[in-house]
Amino acid sequence: MHGIRENTQIFIFVFAFFYLLFLARKAAHHQVDVYDVFMLSMVAIVPGFFVIFPRIVYWIAKIVGIEFPFVIMFGFLFAIIFLFIHRLTIKIHRLESENRLLIQETSLLKHSLSSDRAK
Amino acid sequence: MSIVDQAVLVIIPCYNEEISIGPLLEEIKACGMNYATIVIDDGSKDDTFMIANQVSPTIRLLKNLGIGGSVQMGVMYAERNDFDFCVQIDGDGQHPPSEIAKLLNAFRENPCSIIIGSRYLLHDTFRSTWARRFGSQMISKTIHYLFHGCNVTDPTSGMRLMDRKAIKLFASRYPHDFPEPISLVWALSEGLSVAEVPVQMREREYGRSSIIGFKPIAYMFRVISYIILARVVLSTRCSRGRD
Repeated sequence: MHGIRENTQIFIFVFAFFYLLFLARKAAHHQVDVYDVFMLSMVAIVPGFFVIFPRIVYWIAKIVGIEFPFVIMFGFLFAIIFLFIHRLTIKIHRLESENRLLIQETSLLKHSLSSDRAK
Repeated sequence: MSIVDQAVLVIIPCYNEEISIGPLLEEIKACGMNYATIVIDDGSKDDTFMIANQVSPTIRLLKNLGIGGSVQMGVMYAERNDFDFCVQIDGDGQHPPSEIAKLLNAFRENPCSIIIGSRYLLHDTFRSTWARRFGSQMISKTIHYLFHGCNVTDPTSGMRLMDRKAIKLFASRYPHDFPEPISLVWALSEGLSVAEVPVQMREREYGRSSIIGFKPIAYMFRVISYIILARVVLSTRCSRGRD
């Protein structure tokens, strides 16, 4: 099967199965949102897909002129992780701003309440 | 309505300033100008809040937000309480309250949305370190080149007057990293007018500045990067006089 050994396939399938199960449980308990589950599950799905359809990797490698087909898989994973980090960075910044505003509004409200009480 | 009749709020952001805040508030009262004051205690670990609250309305931020968050808090307070002007001064006593009148007089002569109290216009006040002066100069030059000749000699000054337009802008958004120069650039990008007036400043008596050694140089590069980004990304309208 195009140079991928059986034990490698088993290893990747077992990893993919347990990781997807872990993510599914997290999503079911609302600990991770669906978009994050989708992005993170790619870490299991992409290697699984390339193990099931190794010809596709060779085909893409030939088209883009990459000598080692496994680089394609890492390239895909890198791109997905980059997208994920990009989205998280923006999300963290937005949450920081919202948190700051919340602190300001709460502090202002606390000040107004204590001023009213003093009157 | 003359400027004397208009409501002026003095915003004093502070963090661990228990020694200087009391004398500073007394000094503001002693000016006899009936300025309203608001002290923003940025989550101090000492008795700043307790001391300030006895003399002036004081808001204690529930968590330390830094100078940007504190100043914005004061500006939000100014907007919600319908002040015509607010003047920001440091809580460490570096900015003598008697100099506030110079900012108000400058507004009366040449109404601009932001009036900065500058240390470098007349060179007759205390001199900060060479690294700070160099950093400030480079930031000034960058603003001058990118905003069509806006001449600001002290973009990092923490003493500034804001009118209603500036209050409205900064209450809705205010930079939290390097707030003084970046807020200036945001205001210029929004078409607000900026002017400067020479003021006297004092060296801080207590505590220590966090921007020491070669930090001002790193500060300068970061601020300049922000300014360039603001110039490229935000709308660019600079005016030196009032519209």
